[in-house]
Amino acid sequence: MVSGVSTPEMTAGLRLLDKQAARATADAEVRAAKSISVEDVSVSYALGRAARRSVLENISLEIEEGEFVVLLGETGCGKSTLLRMLLGQERPTAGQISVAGSRVERVDARSGYVPQRYSLFPDRTVLDNLMMGPLTSKFHILGRLRPSYWEARRAVKAEAFRQLAHMGLQASDAGKYPYQLSGGMQQRVAIAQALMMKNRVLLMDEAFSALDPSTRASLQRLLRTVWSETRPTVVFVTHNTAEALFLGTRVIVLARETKEDACGSRVTLDMKLAEGGMTLRSHGQKFLELVEHIEAVSSGEKRTAPDACGEESARVGPVRVFPEDGVTP
Amino acid sequence: MTNLSPFDIQARPNRLLAQALSCLLFVVCIGLYMHTSVARHRDNPEDRVVPSGHQLVAGIRSAVLEPAEEDDYIPADNASTWERLRHSMIWKDTASSGGRFFISLALLIPFVVLAVHIGLFPWFGAGFLRFFLFFDKIVALSLLPILFIAFGIDQWSKIALIVIGVAPTMILDVTQMVKAVPQEQIVKAFTLDANNFDVAYRVVFRQVLPQVINSLRLNLKPMMLFLFAGEMIAASDGLAYRIAIMRRHMGMDVILPYVLWVALLLFLIDFSLRMINRRLHPWFQA
Repeated sequence: MVSGVSTPEMTAGLRLLDKQAARATADAEVRAAKSISVEDVSVSYALGRAARRSVLENISLEIEEGEFVVLLGETGCGKSTLLRMLLGQERPTAGQISVAGSRVERVDARSGYVPQRYSLFPDRTVLDNLMMGPLTSKFHILGRLRPSYWEARRAVKAEAFRQLAHMGLQASDAGKYPYQLSGGMQQRVAIAQALMMKNRVLLMDEAFSALDPSTRASLQRLLRTVWSETRPTVVFVTHNTAEALFLGTRVIVLARETKEDACGSRVTLDMKLAEGGMTLRSHGQKFLELVEHIEAVSSGEKRTAPDACGEESARVGPVRVFPEDGVTP
Repeated sequence: MTNLSPFDIQARPNRLLAQALSCLLFVVCIGLYMHTSVARHRDNPEDRVVPSGHQLVAGIRSAVLEPAEEDDYIPADNASTWERLRHSMIWKDTASSGGRFFISLALLIPFVVLAVHIGLFPWFGAGFLRFFLFFDKIVALSLLPILFIAFGIDQWSKIALIVIGVAPTMILDVTQMVKAVPQEQIVKAFTLDANNFDVAYRVVFRQVLPQVINSLRLNLKPMMLFLFAGEMIAASDGLAYRIAIMRRHMGMDVILPYVLWVALLLFLIDFSLRMINRRLHPWFQA
């Protein structure tokens, strides 16, 4: 190796390497800013030997860091399938998905997850459920023998109690098992459990669907508060339009073009909303009109994208912004 | 209060009546036995088919305090009750059968672990599941001659019979339990930074363990059945061996206490497992 010698070729080479490194850093920053990226994703399942059933067709989405995206659509339109792909639980038939700057290949700790049911581990108390995530990464067969483990455990425990209080639960609930909690309390703990991991991405699959209206409303308010405090990127799947308008800063509707459409669902509406959240009380008639419009698009009564399901319609893209007062493009 | 017929689904006996009803069949059985015994002894005071109370007490005494006929041990006249008990026929047989039973139980543990892997890891499932589905259909008792040839007639052939008889069923049972763990739980665990080991043992195994214990409780009787089959055909000690020997001598005064002793032992093991389950998994009782 020759050291301390600088030739014009070497200087040029170093400059090139610097440029490449700078470009790679810039690309990584762009990717990270786009918290979630869905590129031309299609999903279909085999039905027998020859036939296939298409679920999603050429979906492309860019979700920015800190957005609260609500996926809306009728039952069977593929919104949960899309969420499972963001998680890494399913793989797309075509296209690719990136979360936090890297491609999703399997389920990992990049994203927090709150499902509709079975959101807590039934064999663990509330406290153990909350502490499980942070302690799992520190778990080692002989880890308990190290003082550092116990220090970390104390810190995690304190954080768990803080999260518990933040979710409106009592310290005395910490020792309870999930079966001793109501559905609403379980979902509060599930949200806290996901937040304990400090993920920048939170994926929620019809998380409030099984709750009664008043519990659901209080959890919606809680989720909005939590989101506005820490600004994680949230993808929330629901079929409730009012919930979508209250929670989201962006609403994406997945639907087939017509009921008889053999093609999979596409994005038929992609709309940004003002941050305050829309409710019937605050927006009155406009809220109702918007709900009506979204439901018409969702059910395929209104079309916002070309009919054909060929490549062209995918390239044209179905993005449409609803230009209402309080709804920003 | 409406008077409902005892045959009405909505009729509930009060606590005292329920307790009395639960004892009724035991009392009826004892009554029938005593009636038959008295009737037979009236015809033949030496009858051994349905032994009287005195004969049963004598039989229990000899089983609990006297050594087996084939033993060389002769207790000293001043030997303590404990000393006599330690060398008694029932103690020797219980220790032999119990040893075989608990070794088999321990040998089932690796199969339970394998079942967790079969249910959870698709590659394991692909490799093992069909084999065990087929193996489960083989009648274990038909393998007994092969086991005697392979392991000899000492205890390992009986242990192998129990394991071969029970393991496939348990594996399939535990596999189903693992598959029944909601997928959401597994996905959630991975999002909480769990690795495959964590998911398998700290999430799934923990959740199915109470059901595994219940499955074991249900398999206690088949295990004992296989043990008895092995011991009755070829053994030199054990509870079933003694029952088989006593049958030749019409020794109902020993057979009956042995049958009740085996039932009591199984009941106690089952009760212990139930208590362990209740203590360790309070969440499962809900």
